[in-house]
Parts: sequence; structure tokens; C-alpha cells
Amino acid sequence: MDVILKMEVLLITLVLFTIAIPTTYFAERKHPGAGAAILSLVAMFSLILILSTIPSIVDPANNYRYLETYYWIPEINASFSLFLDGISLSLASIALVIIAAVSTYSHDYMQDRKNTDQYYALTTLLSLGLMGIFITSNLLLFYFFWELILLPSYFIIGEWGSNDSYGIAFKFIIITHAGAVLVLLGIGTAFVETGSLNIFQVQSILTSMQSGITIWMLIALTIGFAVKLAVVPAHIWLPDTYSEAPAPMSALLGGVMTTAGAYGILRLSLGMVYSTLNSIVFKLSFIHILAIFGVASALFGSLLAISEKDVNRLLAYSSISHMGYVVFGLSLFPNPLAIIAVVLHLLNHGISKGLFFLSTGEIVKQTGTRIMDDIGGVGSQMPITGTGAAIAALSIGGVPPFACFISEFFIFISAFQVVGLDSFYLVPTILMLSVNVFSLAYSTKFVGSVLLGPVKNNQLHEKSKAIIAVAVILVSLIIIIGLLPTIFTEFIGLVSFQN
Amino acid sequence: MIDITDVLWVPAIFIIMGLLTIPVVRKIRTQNTRREPLLVGWLLLVFFICFVFIARLTFKYFNLEPIVPFININLSGEGLLIFSSSFLVDALSIYIMIIFIGIGVVIALHTALTVRDEEQTSERYYSLMIIVIGCLIGAALAGDLLTLFIFWEASSAGAAFLMLYRKTPRSVHATLKFMVMIIIGSSFIVYGLSLLFSIAGTLNYWEVKNVLISFDDKALLLVAFAFVGGGYAIEAAIVPFHLWLPDAYTEAPASSSAFLSGLIDQGSYYILLRVLIYILTPNQVIDWTTTIAIFALITMVVGNLRALMEKNVKRLIAYVCIADVGYNLIAISSMTSLGVMANLYFFLVGGITTALAFMSVGILNRFGFHSLDDFNGLGKTAPWTSFGLVFGMLSFAGIPPFAGFIAKYMLFTSAIEGGMSWLAVAGVTVSVIQAAYLLRLLNRMFGKTPSKIIEFKERKTQLIPIFIFGVVLIVIGIFPTIILNLIQPVVMELTHIP
Repeated sequence: MDVILKMEVLLITLVLFTIAIPTTYFAERKHPGAGAAILSLVAMFSLILILSTIPSIVDPANNYRYLETYYWIPEINASFSLFLDGISLSLASIALVIIAAVSTYSHDYMQDRKNTDQYYALTTLLSLGLMGIFITSNLLLFYFFWELILLPSYFIIGEWGSNDSYGIAFKFIIITHAGAVLVLLGIGTAFVETGSLNIFQVQSILTSMQSGITIWMLIALTIGFAVKLAVVPAHIWLPDTYSEAPAPMSALLGGVMTTAGAYGILRLSLGMVYSTLNSIVFKLSFIHILAIFGVASALFGSLLAISEKDVNRLLAYSSISHMGYVVFGLSLFPNPLAIIAVVLHLLNHGISKGLFFLSTGEIVKQTGTRIMDDIGGVGSQMPITGTGAAIAALSIGGVPPFACFISEFFIFISAFQVVGLDSFYLVPTILMLSVNVFSLAYSTKFVGSVLLGPVKNNQLHEKSKAIIAVAVILVSLIIIIGLLPTIFTEFIGLVSFQN
Repeated sequence: MIDITDVLWVPAIFIIMGLLTIPVVRKIRTQNTRREPLLVGWLLLVFFICFVFIARLTFKYFNLEPIVPFININLSGEGLLIFSSSFLVDALSIYIMIIFIGIGVVIALHTALTVRDEEQTSERYYSLMIIVIGCLIGAALAGDLLTLFIFWEASSAGAAFLMLYRKTPRSVHATLKFMVMIIIGSSFIVYGLSLLFSIAGTLNYWEVKNVLISFDDKALLLVAFAFVGGGYAIEAAIVPFHLWLPDAYTEAPASSSAFLSGLIDQGSYYILLRVLIYILTPNQVIDWTTTIAIFALITMVVGNLRALMEKNVKRLIAYVCIADVGYNLIAISSMTSLGVMANLYFFLVGGITTALAFMSVGILNRFGFHSLDDFNGLGKTAPWTSFGLVFGMLSFAGIPPFAGFIAKYMLFTSAIEGGMSWLAVAGVTVSVIQAAYLLRLLNRMFGKTPSKIIEFKERKTQLIPIFIFGVVLIVIGIFPTIILNLIQPVVMELTHIP
């Protein structure tokens, strides 16, 4: 154990966010704009903190994990255990980057809105939940954070959204809560079966002890997460929510929350339960069904996105489509390249979609319309925001050298590897390849009609300094990952699902 | 050494202080100024004095050398043991006493701070409240079925007066309904007890238990327990015996509803858990866990579905109380140590949550907001009271970080552990329904524009009891180990009964 291990960085991160909730509230009350600054600073500082654990994660002696354990509820065998490994660290860092970007841009986006003090306090609470999901190895704590994001999202969407926003927020909270109780059922079963709530202990106990109920656990967990991930047909909450929520909130939801759903499937359903199953027949049919749902989501989302006229809804449908990619990638489990590809795709999609939502948010705010036919030539009037939006769109569309291309490419490579072993994957892979074309279609449609084309809206100009800063940082990340994916992939690859 | 006076003083001090309250509060009411602080001060003093006696008993119990899990104390000497009134002091009764006094003091404060003089509050109301708490604590300390019966009926009778208090025709009707049900229930209990007495020749818990374990005529036992169980099922409002509850809780003044749901309800679950299941009918005697599980299911489903259809908010909360009975029964039927832990934790959480909900709904009712439609937009006009109610609702719905979540998690997990996954699945499903109607209320309060404009102002002092409960819910939700630590010895004790 070296010095870094003793620093308790994860606990500090959580405590920082907790303290930031009242701090942002009162600071924003006194000095409008301070809330955004505090939240961004907290996020950046936490990013530095969690990156400081890299030396212990890459150390094979620690089983590629950084662990912290605290006293919590010994009566039910739950300890407040936090951990980081390649996957968690990458996803948590990206979550922090997006949180920082979102709060920075909120400063400008929310300027003329009411009750920003409450907005920042709620966003901080939401960020705490989103952060927590990725860094805990205790199932109960995981669920704690998982449900912690419900209420702040409800209030943010409802209070600062548009068009019957509370009704939409209500639909969102009910459907995702219904999914969450399935997760709870899975967690409860895991506890009863193994007597432990630690992800890795549960995994190792289940490996040595099989029982019929494990299959149900897997199914409950997967369906529960799939709701958050908005896999067709559980996607019904998503389009309305993303399009009516305020742009920073959509960026958080689209960039981080859906990622959390995918992380749940990867870490709990597949990593903790699926990998311990013995029955080959069940295992195969399970991942085949997963693949079918993935392809269905990808096709459905991309086709609807092509025919969509509303910018925000286009983004929402493209999220469904991209989560289809992720689910398809997850169905290739336990192919190691597929795991890396999925995590990388989650990172890339998070950054690209975050930037996409934020920059279109600025465009929509200035033009006052969301209908793509009424917006045009934004690029010439708002060069930096326009470029940001264009690069985000092209990345989402899978154009090299931007980030999403490379991860989609990895997903396909691993799919081809798997096709060699399991011919079932041939048709899904071909269908997924066709989705690539559709993705390109809707992203070029966006670029062509909104950013290029004849100028339809006058008086547009770069009003917001925040969006410029955000665009510059996120665009450079998109390009860096697109060009040098190996720095990330090597790191993500250092993962062990075993105890 | 704990002797009979230590134990008897605890219910007695409540009754004495309750009686003393009458002249003191009457005096306070004749004052022109500072009535409220004086009243609050007096109530705090009363509860403090009672707490001293409870604390004394607690310390004596935990300092015993050697440690004795159960202390059985008889009123009379050895010779007349079978007729003797006896008391039982153990970790469970101490836990229940502490819960009762803790919830009781906050509800009494709420009453003092919200009920205005125009409503002709009389000193008898406070006095009765304190005496009923004393009787409940007496029931928790009872060591034989007769003592239990007497204390329990005394608290039910007191509860009837608390309900009647406003004397509107509807509350008279509701109280009558309650009284009739309670009397039917008690007569069942008396009949069942007389059967047990004829079998065992005594009513002392341990004696009865020893006799029953070796008793062969299961049919007779079944009849006896059907009567006792049915009687207590009426009083605990288990579906289909729940019909009195919604009327009673809706028509009673809010402070009484809070008191009834927070204390009397929890007391009835306590009796179900402790006496019927763990003392009188462990598995060796009669295995009726499946029966209880079925009642749990029916109670949950009916309570939640009726709440879903209900338009009056106070009545909705009353149905949530019925649903809570169902959740409690899940844990009781699981017969696992986790179930006991869940149950005991749920006593506290359920009591606080229902009391909190009734208290805040009561405040809003006073301003004329009754139906779901009236609650539209209240989050804007009465933000703090609404927040209190939201805390309660989220805890009911089992959303972390509120304490209701940990309680529900343990309940459902205990059902899985007890081999009744179907019950857990059903519980989770109705729990989603519950979340739906509670969040719908939240959505109305924060997301809709007001349909009824009434000028009013929230009074800061009224919010104090509500936020005490709200904060407690969050604290024990995030750090449940504070409570579970207290429960742990109880669980050990109950699940390892020889």
C-alpha cells in the first residue's frame, strides 16, 4: 500500500459533491453565476483526484483495482465500498468532464431563468448520483446512487423544461423507477443467494454455487438496466424527455445517465451474474436476444432520426440508436475486444452527445425554434459553436477521424471475430453495418440543413463564452480519442471481473 | 435487579403525568399571552419526566449481571403464578418503548403547535394522548396475555376518544364504526384467550408456550388462534378487516390520525409479531406462514389499489397505512432474522412516515385543501409544508436516501430468503403502483397550476415537528445502522427462542 492508496480519494470526491449541494445553492443566491463555477471546479478537482489512482489501478498486485472500504451497515453485510478499475475510472472521468462542461454552459444557458440557485443544487445532487454509480462496488450503494438521480432529474426537467415538462418528467420518473425496482429485486436475490453485497464477492460465490434463481436474477437486472438504457421497446420515455429537458440536462442524461445503464448491464448483469452461469444453451440464447434488441434499437432509432424534423428529437433518437450499438456490443460478451469497444463507445458517445446537446442548445436558444427547416446557415454566423456541433454530429455519424468512428470500428471488428465462432451474429452484424449508413444520413442532414445552407435566422452570433470553452475542450477530446484510441483502450483493457 | 416497581412505574408515570396535564393545561389556557410556548414547555417536561423513567429501566436492564435476555416479573408470589399479572422486559420491549416515546413527543408537539384555541382544544386531549402512550408502553411490557389485553384495549378506547375529538357528525360515525369493530375484535380475542386458558391453565406467555408446544389437539389450537389472530387482525386493519381504518383516519383530526397511525398501528403490528408469531405460535405449534403471506398480499394489493383510486389526499394516506400493514406482514411471514430486523425497522420508519404525512396533510387541510385537485400547485404556494409531505411520500415509495427504502429492501429480501419469491415480486410490483400514485401527487403539487387560490401563510413553528421527522427519515435512511444496532440484540433474542 503506497501513499496514494491511503488518501481516500473516492470518499473525498463524494463528500465534495455532497458539500457542494448547499454551497452552490447559497453561492448562487448571493452571486448569480457562482453556482456554475463551483460545480465546474468541484468536477475538475474530482477528476484530478480520481486520476491520481491510476498508479494503483495499473498495478497487477492490486488485481487492477483501487479499493476503499468504509463502515456502513454491518447488520446486513453492507459496507460503504468504493472502487475504481479501468472501466469505472474511464466512465467516471468522462462523467466528470461532461458535468464540468454542462455546469459551465449552464452559466450562460440558465442566465435569464428563474431560481437558478435551485437548479445548481439539483444539478449537483444529480452529479453526485451519476458519479457514485460508477465508483461503488456495493450493490446497495449502487442502487442508492441509481435512485438518487431520479428526483433531481424530475425537478430539473419539470421546472426548467418546455411544453408540459412536468408531465414528461413524471413519465420519465415512473418508467425508470419501475425499471429500478427490477434491479432492486435482482440485488435482493443476489444478497439472499450469496449473503454478500459486494459485486466481486457475489460473482465469486455464484461461480462456485449455481442455483436456478440466478437466471431470474440476470433477467431482472438486465431488464431493469435496459429501461434506463432506453432499449426498444422500453425507450418510450426517452424522446420526450431529451427533447423537452433544458439542453444542459439533456446533455447530462444523454451523455452520462444512459452510459450508467450500459455500465449496469456490463458490470452487474454480464460481469457479475452472466459470467457465472453454466448452462451454455441459456447463455447463448440470452446474448442472442440481447443482440436482437440491440439491432432493433439501432435500426429504430436511426430510421426515426432520419425522418425527424425537430433537432432535439433527432438527437434523442440518435441516442436510442447509439445505445443499440452499445447493447449489440455488450451481446458479444465476453469477447475482450468487445468490452473495450463498448466502454470506448460509451466514452465517445458521452462526449459527442454531450457536446451535440450543448451546442444545439445554444443554437436553439438563439433561433428560438427547434424545427430544422426554420434554421439554416448557423455555421457562418456562429463559427465556433457551429464547428462544435458539426464535429459532434460527424462523430455521432461515425465519420473518421472523430471519436465514435473508432469505437464503432472496434465493435465491428469484435463482431467479426465472434461471427467466426457463432454464425448467428452474421445477420445482426450486417444490419448494424447498415445502421452506420443511416447514422451518417441523419448527421449529415443536420449539418447540411442547420449549419450550412442558406441563412434563415439573422442576429445570430457567438453570445456565449462558455459554449466556446466547452466546444474547444470537448472537440479536442473527440479528435484525440479519434486519432489515438490506444491510450484509452490499453487502460480499459486492464480489467478483471473476477474477485 | 429489576423489580416490579421499576416496570410498573413506567406506564404509571405516563398516567400520572397525563392526569396532571389537565389542571396545568387548563391554567395555561386562561393565560392571555405566551400560551403556545408554555404549552410546549409543559409537554416537553412531561415527556422528559417519562423518559427519565424509561431510561432508568433501560440502564438497569443493560447493566444486569449476568446478562439475562428475558426478565419475567410477576406481580404476586410464587403460589398464585397462574393468576398473576406479569411483565416482560427485554431488548424488544425497550426498543418499542423508545420508539413510542420518540414518536409520541413529536406528535404531541405538533398538536400543541397546530391546534388553535378556536377549535376548543381542551386539556383532556393532551392528557388522553399521554395516557394512551402509557397504555401502549404497558402493552409492550406485558408478560401475559391478559395484561396485554387490558393495556391494549385501554389504548384502543383512548384512541376512540382521540378520533371523536372534533365531534363532527362524520367523525362520530367513523368512531362508532371503529368502536364496533374494536369491540368485535376484542370479543374474539377474549373468546380465544378463554380457550387458551382452558388448554394451558395460565395466560403467562412462557407457560402457555411450553404447554402449547407439547399439546396435540391441533384443531382446538387452530380455533383458539383463529379467534385471537382474527381479533388482532381487526385491530391491525388487515384486509378484509380494514374497513374502519380509512373512515376513522380521515374523519379524525389530523393530529389524532398522526397519533393513531404512528403509534397505535405500530403497536398492533408489534403484538402480531411478538405475541402471536414468536411467542405463541412458533413453527412447532402451528405453521401458518403461508396464511399470513396470503393476507400480506391481499392487504398490500387492496391498500395500494384503493389509494390509487382515491381522490381525497388524507384518505389516500389512510390507504397507504393499510398497504403498510401488508408490507409488515411480509416480513412477519418470512420468519427469518432479516425479516424480524426489517419489521422492527419498519415499525419506526412506518410510524414516522405515516405520522409525518398526516401532520403535513393536516396543516394543508386546515387551509381548505382536501382533494387531489386542490393540491395542484401547492408546491409553489406552500413550499415548506409540501416538502414535508414529499419527504413522507418518497419514504413511502421506497426511494433512497429516505429510510423507507432500506425498510422495503429488507422486507422484500427477507421474503426471498424465507422462500417466498412470489411475495417479493408481488410486493415490488405493488410498490411501483405505490410510487406511481405518490409521485402523481408530487407531480400535482409541483407541476400543475393551482386550481384553487386561497390566501394563506405557512407558520414556521408548525413546521418544526414535520422537519424533525423529515430529517430523521433521511438520517436513518443513510445511516440505518444507528437503528439496526439497537435492533440487532432483539433479532438474536427473538430468532433463538428455545
